[in-house]
Amino acid sequence: MILVIGVSHQTAPLSLRERLAVAADRMPAMLQRLRDEAGLAEVMMLSTCNRVEVYGRGEEGVDERALEWFMSATPGPPREELAPCVYRLTGAAAIRHAFRVAASLESLVLGEPQILGQVKDAYQAAEQAGTLGSSLNALRNRSLAAAKRARTETGIGRNAVSISYVAVELARKIFGELKDKNVLLVGAGKMSELAARHLVRSGARATVLGGRTIGKAEGLAAALGGRAAAFETLREELAVADIVISGTAAQGVVIRTEDVESARAARRGRHQRPLFLIDIAVPRDIEPAVRKLEGVFLYDLDDLKSVADANLRLRRREAAAAEALVDAEIAEFLEWQKSLDVVPLLVELRRRGEEIRRAEIDKARARLGPLTPQQEQALEAATTAIVNKMLHGPTVQLKELARDGHPPELIGLVRRLLGL
Amino acid sequence: MSAQAYLLLTLAFYAVGVLHVLFHALTRRRLLSSWTVTATLAGFAFHTASLSQRWTEAGHFPSVGLHDGASLLAWTIVLAFLATYIRTRLEALGLAVYPVAFGLVLIANLTPASDAMDPILKSLFLPIHTALAFCGYAALFVAFAMGLAYLVQERELKARSPRAFYYLIPSLEACDTVSGRSVIVGFGFLTLAIITGVLWSHSARGRYWTGDAKEWSAVTAWLIYIGLILARRHTGWGGRRAALLGIAGFAVVVFTFTWVALFPGVYAAR
Repeated sequence: MILVIGVSHQTAPLSLRERLAVAADRMPAMLQRLRDEAGLAEVMMLSTCNRVEVYGRGEEGVDERALEWFMSATPGPPREELAPCVYRLTGAAAIRHAFRVAASLESLVLGEPQILGQVKDAYQAAEQAGTLGSSLNALRNRSLAAAKRARTETGIGRNAVSISYVAVELARKIFGELKDKNVLLVGAGKMSELAARHLVRSGARATVLGGRTIGKAEGLAAALGGRAAAFETLREELAVADIVISGTAAQGVVIRTEDVESARAARRGRHQRPLFLIDIAVPRDIEPAVRKLEGVFLYDLDDLKSVADANLRLRRREAAAAEALVDAEIAEFLEWQKSLDVVPLLVELRRRGEEIRRAEIDKARARLGPLTPQQEQALEAATTAIVNKMLHGPTVQLKELARDGHPPELIGLVRRLLGL
Repeated sequence: MSAQAYLLLTLAFYAVGVLHVLFHALTRRRLLSSWTVTATLAGFAFHTASLSQRWTEAGHFPSVGLHDGASLLAWTIVLAFLATYIRTRLEALGLAVYPVAFGLVLIANLTPASDAMDPILKSLFLPIHTALAFCGYAALFVAFAMGLAYLVQERELKARSPRAFYYLIPSLEACDTVSGRSVIVGFGFLTLAIITGVLWSHSARGRYWTGDAKEWSAVTAWLIYIGLILARRHTGWGGRRAALLGIAGFAVVVFTFTWVALFPGVYAAR
């Protein structure tokens, strides 16, 4: 039986989730403890900022013990605080949850792409810790495949919803290809760096303008594979820039309309090319009147946010399609899981044995001629015993394998070996 | 089957494209699917059959009068769209092409075929001149549509709150590039059409220039487009101004086309 026990952003506040979080270096020990102390045959643990969950497999009723362990053995919050936030899912509900989490349908930011990688890493950690068995491994393969399908076949992950990605998408809407576009960074903040990194990864070249200390600009320029320049060269740099990201801590305006106008005039031959200005500073760095200039697109933090919101609304609409797709995948997985049941195989094995026995008895009778009832009985007894003894080993072994969660390929292999 | 029957089938297949594009524009998904493209190819095949049948029925190249003109123009526009789509995979162009192609085929279905039998129509110049002109119109239509797309996308980006078109229309750069290239192709055809038109006029009426409004407007369009091409090449012009000029040029082209389509007698008999 597969189970999920945990807390998420839907059930518990951050203050509680952060106390439950398990760091990567503590994960192997945690997994082994879970296996040994909570009685789980297989176990994986997903620990992100938005959820801390145990995925496991064990005998019927193991969920009770695992829940108990989760609430008491973790060094986290006291039981009274934790109890109302923890959910416990078993069987089909647990499988369903695993699929939906991987597909980002349960994420705080719908369709966010990180969760897929986090789930992947969590399974990998469990694999390395040796707590991953065939059942969870099958769940991993199918749920990750379903998540990838949802991502590529529906719009759930399309259109950026984070500020820095929105900036990159807007740049693409303006310039198409970002290769060889010049990005000018004014001020070396964290957010400018993040957006610039995305742009550079798409082939853009970065130039960082330094403030009072050129050192910081040089450091960032090196990190971005670009160059640094003094702030005094603003106008010259503006003239060759396609994208400007401004995020200084200055109190006043840093880039004035005249600066942009003169820079536009200076780009001889290419003054018709668009200029994309991103102002992520608070208070703002770029004079708002700049946006009235032809071919100039100015976005401040609020603008980026409103694009992100519009994109999120679109994602919510796409979620319905993604839900349907994931539901179909879940149904398929449950169906497949049922087919792994060894009982039908055992029945078939018996039937086949009996069939062979009957056929051989008929042949023997034809050769032996009429038999006495005693001989008849002896023949029956001997053949039945042969079949039973032949099948005893495989039957016991198959039942055992089924209890431990056998690899999915095994049933097929057994069928082939026995010619069924 | 008759040309008319083929044309009705064409209309049905193009309708699939129109409905698909409009539906997906509302849901903001990908505009075209392999289904739409297949339906369009089927429609285009029937359309071709209709035109060739009509050529036999009319006894001359089917490019005279509203019925034939609309049908042939729709055919060249779909051809231009397919050619552009194969090269660039620009789906947004479908937003302009499908309604227009459907509308033109609808007009052709609703109007009677003109049976004007002017001896001038027997000339070899008719297929050559009009085929060149129509190919030019189609390429310039693509340029116009992408120019319009540029302006709409620019407005979306300036407005800073994305609406439907932000998602549907490709980047400014893509609109500008495709529009610019289509202008060059269209201009080439237009030039050849004007040359063959002048030669035809000379061989039919003994005069190179008759002073018809169509001739004036064709030359006006030619001048606008050459101006646009030179400005793009030599001054780094592009974007908004190029889009606007391309749209102006196309307005003149539309006038040139409708002049013959609506008053074929006037033009042909002069």
